Amino acid sequence: MDDNLKIVGKRVVRSDSYAKVTGSALYTADLKLPGMLVAKVLRSPYPHAKIISIDVSGALKVPGVKAAVSGFDAYGVKWGVFRYTQDHAMLPTDKVRYIGEDVAAVAAVDEETALEGLSRIKVEYEPLDAVFDPVESMKDGAPQIHNEYKNNINIHVHIDVGEVDKAMAKAYLVREDTFKAAGEAYAMMEPYAVVASYANGYLDLWMPNAGPHVRAKALSNLLKIPLNRVRVRHINSGGAFGGRSEVAPGDLVASLLTIKSGRPVKLVLSREENATSSRQVHDIVATVKTGMKKDGTIVAKDYKVIYDGGAYSSTGPIATSIPFYVYEECYRFPNVRYNGYRVFTNKGIRGMYGCHGRAFLAGNEAQMDMMAKELGLDPVDVRLKNGLTAGEMTATKSKITSCGLKDTIIEASEKTNFKKRWKKKEKNRGIGMGCVAIMCGFPMGFRSGSSCYVKINDDGQVTLVTGLVDNGQGNESMVIQVASEVLGVPMEDINLVNADTEVTNLDPGAYSQAAAYVGANAVKAACENVRKRLISIASEKLGVPESDIDLKDRIAYSIKQPDKRMPISWIAREAFFRGEPIVATGSFFPDIDFEREWVTRPWGQMAGTFSFGTSVAEVEVDYETGKIIVPRFTAAHDCGRPINPMAVEGQMEGSIQQAGIATITEGNVWYRGFLLNPDLLEYKVPLACDMPEIDTIIVSSHDPKGPFGAKEGGLTVRMNAYSAIACAFTNATGILFEELPLTPDKVLNLLEKNKGVK
Amino acid sequence: MKTVKVTINVNNEKIKLQVKPYETLLETLRERLALTGAKEACSLGSCGSCTVLLNGTPVRSCLILTPEVDGASITTIEGLKEDGKLHPLQEAFMEKGAVQCGFCTSGMIMTAKGLLNRNKKPSRAEIIKSISSNICRCTGYKKIVEAVEEASKKMA
Amino acid sequence: MILPKFEYKKARTIEEALEIYSQYNGEAFYLAGGTDLVPLLKHRLFNPKVVIDIKGIEELKTITKKGGNLLVGPNATLYELKGTPEIQEKLPCLFQSLDATSCETLQMRGTIGGNIMQNTRCLQYNKSLEWRTARGFCYKMGGKTCNVVLNAKACYSNYCGDNAPSLMTVDAKARIVGPTGERTIKVEKLFSGDGKEPFTVKPGEILKGIIIPLKETKGAYEKLTVRGSIDYPLVGVAVTIKDGSAKVGVTGIGPCPRVYELKEVNEKEINNIADKAYEDAKPVLNAVLTPAYRKKMVGVLIKRAFKRIEKGGSR
Repeated sequence: MDDNLKIVGKRVVRSDSYAKVTGSALYTADLKLPGMLVAKVLRSPYPHAKIISIDVSGALKVPGVKAAVSGFDAYGVKWGVFRYTQDHAMLPTDKVRYIGEDVAAVAAVDEETALEGLSRIKVEYEPLDAVFDPVESMKDGAPQIHNEYKNNINIHVHIDVGEVDKAMAKAYLVREDTFKAAGEAYAMMEPYAVVASYANGYLDLWMPNAGPHVRAKALSNLLKIPLNRVRVRHINSGGAFGGRSEVAPGDLVASLLTIKSGRPVKLVLSREENATSSRQVHDIVATVKTGMKKDGTIVAKDYKVIYDGGAYSSTGPIATSIPFYVYEECYRFPNVRYNGYRVFTNKGIRGMYGCHGRAFLAGNEAQMDMMAKELGLDPVDVRLKNGLTAGEMTATKSKITSCGLKDTIIEASEKTNFKKRWKKKEKNRGIGMGCVAIMCGFPMGFRSGSSCYVKINDDGQVTLVTGLVDNGQGNESMVIQVASEVLGVPMEDINLVNADTEVTNLDPGAYSQAAAYVGANAVKAACENVRKRLISIASEKLGVPESDIDLKDRIAYSIKQPDKRMPISWIAREAFFRGEPIVATGSFFPDIDFEREWVTRPWGQMAGTFSFGTSVAEVEVDYETGKIIVPRFTAAHDCGRPINPMAVEGQMEGSIQQAGIATITEGNVWYRGFLLNPDLLEYKVPLACDMPEIDTIIVSSHDPKGPFGAKEGGLTVRMNAYSAIACAFTNATGILFEELPLTPDKVLNLLEKNKGVK
Repeated sequence: MKTVKVTINVNNEKIKLQVKPYETLLETLRERLALTGAKEACSLGSCGSCTVLLNGTPVRSCLILTPEVDGASITTIEGLKEDGKLHPLQEAFMEKGAVQCGFCTSGMIMTAKGLLNRNKKPSRAEIIKSISSNICRCTGYKKIVEAVEEASKKMA
Repeated sequence: MILPKFEYKKARTIEEALEIYSQYNGEAFYLAGGTDLVPLLKHRLFNPKVVIDIKGIEELKTITKKGGNLLVGPNATLYELKGTPEIQEKLPCLFQSLDATSCETLQMRGTIGGNIMQNTRCLQYNKSLEWRTARGFCYKMGGKTCNVVLNAKACYSNYCGDNAPSLMTVDAKARIVGPTGERTIKVEKLFSGDGKEPFTVKPGEILKGIIIPLKETKGAYEKLTVRGSIDYPLVGVAVTIKDGSAKVGVTGIGPCPRVYELKEVNEKEINNIADKAYEDAKPVLNAVLTPAYRKKMVGVLIKRAFKRIEKGGSR
């Protein structure tokens, strides 16, 4: 592995920081276009009701209202992430399925006029019975939310490897527990917004998104406009965390309004609308049955997991599967059965989330600790024993290449003096560990790969063009850093054009943890092709072999005779002169089994590689108030190699808030179909004073195929932090959690139920 | 409804405006003055993304009616630079990696500026207490605290 | 989110404020810090014709010592008050409740008057017009039912001010001025106990001052929240010990804060009061933690506050 890298691996200031610290970075709600109108959406007040009629004519009579639309202005196309989940019309014409669903909209000269217009729209509803609990929803006789899905079962993922029942019967120790978790809110700081502008036959859109190409494609289908005429443009994004991957009703609303009015339209959701009417996170009920040998080896797992999906499919099978996969990619399960059910309820739509699956994952880890303890093993022992290693296959037949799991366990354990402290019995203190693996990419058909093209401009500066997306994690800066390394020019010489569907080529987007492994790999490949051309001309001009040339600080020079050098700008000009400007394309397509299908064929290589991580949480439990404090949190993450260690740390630290402290503070609260905390006061996003002291450890397993050995930058912490906390709680109290978040009232209940049972 | 005349000093520039009586300072800054650095993330005063300085004190501009600040001095993120140079807080946020998606950043920096205005050498605990007025969803706050520490050291 | 339409008027004197109030027939709100009022207006819970800015009234801002009392102008910010040496030295319970209120930025804007006079809260009340229309209007909004407690005959919204209970424990009084003149009442008399109309102040009346006896006291404020900043109290307990007796204030459960007296400070008395306060607390499912838990914490926090005073600890 080459380790005299010049800039990759260094803590660089991110390329996007300057604009953000000066307030000049533009987000969708900051945009102003000439003649722009303000849009507002009329939303369903019912959790479930037939739409009898929608009359927008009253709105159009209000002076200043320039357009008013409903589902009847759309084209009867239903969208879905998969061909078999096409259930979302965006603006329904048959019935409404959740409180807050988009029903109609107006565009007007200002917000007040738009609100006035909305108040004049007449919608006639016939309320229907609604169902809010996923277990109730699956029962016969429950209200049918979609005709096509019997018993409201959206997706059933069934995986069966080995002989689970036999192995369970033979196991030395068997345990079954059920864990629940309230669904979370993404609570990204930027409320959803869309600007749409239709002119001259082209529809331009700006919105925070995780993948512009799938957006444009979806809108092209929904609006029956050719794909080349739908252009999703680059705009800064205020956080996504998985909640901005799919086309949104707001996108269709804004598009219809701009087409109808002939003027640009801006739709900005309030915080409340962002919570009720854009994506939410699944509530989960997970039943985990585990069989272990006397020596702590896991011999069988039997899972039943119910995901409360809300009113539409969204990512459907993906959300129904991921928590299982990140776990089976971490541990050896010779026999495993998984039945995952995504169920419809009359609540907001649940999507994929960076921290998805906390009931299942934290439950598995905490139960494993309980069982290991009974067998005389500690959490480190049992994880080292069952953790996967490089070269092994997961239960569903993915091969693990680079694997730093063991290192993350050992380093996190040593840093926290884990083994000693776990054994020590301090009544109100506990320490716990959580492990997980993360697939770097999923099978997404032809959209699983990325392509980049590069051009060298005549001053020797570089333009990189890639579909890669940044939602704040630092992907844009990462690829500039990679290009800088390969081309020998400083980051400030590199212009990035990204995430614009007219100009940039396909990329998986900021989705499925593929930005480094796939997106940056494509950028690296393209830059290497450019590098070859630069070196070829330099070799010719300098009279030295190509193998003797390196690029550094904007110069191509002979390694053996450094006086022989020429600026890259001269090489570029020479190339122009020859009529062969220096441009190149590079692509990366991960080694995935494309026959794999989430439901019909759930086995085969899932991703090109996997990252691994271990978190350790230290907790203090107040037995009188049930309050949990987390004084210290340590996270170790195998990212292959950090391209910008500061960015990887940032991801890990942010995850400690979003998945760690969130374990004790975050959860959506419902009264039937009404979300009771759709705001940032009663939905408890942890603050600086709630955070622990943090230690981050970056482990480099040097992936053979990742760019400079890199994999993904920190998501393991988002899927193991809650496990560490749950396990620490169990260590402190001897009790398994039942339901997350572990707010003080729930903790006190558990402690009281358990009194006397020691 | 009649508009209200106000004169406000924004980033060292005296500005005369006719505003709606029910217009918030955040709206005025973003819609009339094109100062879109302050963000509307919740509109109800729960998150701090709209924070600006009012006579040197950090305030949530989404909760202030513009007529209330007639005659006052407002500093926004756009006004932090001096003679084209970044303020040490801005530099430190960049250098310490305290910026990810950036949506909370202006509010966070202005809260920190407010702190440094009244306390030149804040302790770590004082920094944490101060920035616990602002929500960040991306960073976990660690690098933000480090950036404020760094800036206060540089400014000393 | 835009505000509903209203006029803005600035009053330079108390008389002017009262005058404008009557001009608009009471369809007016007084505006101090705005941290309670503005969100209520954004939610369209109220639709005044005018908002009367009283921040320009000089006499409402001052903090002075006079005749063994601290005279606090209601427009003094929580932050300013917190920094007052007399409060830091002699009134630790009040200092702690000021410090525990919300977050630093809001403490610098919020006034003590506004903090005391904040509207009661409920998860199903502090919501947008659209949310509430879909849910149906409750008593507090002018409707005919409670959305939280089936068949309730009264409103169960919670008073969530941190500082009223501490002021009650230090025998603070409120001076009120209105169209019918001035009056001075104990802080606890400001509260009606009715969630729909939580205050006894008559339409148009303004808080003119808060009078706090400046005696040497020991005290503590315990606040139950999920997060360490910004949050309103799910339960708040204020304890002040003065001259061998004590007062306990409880906030966060039900439409008004309650105050209890202990003639002597000993374990038996403390347990009695904790039990009484527990009995009196009738929380419902209108906050994010369960009612049973919040009720239980009333007793727990009372005992903790006393213990902390004994040990001499800060929050």
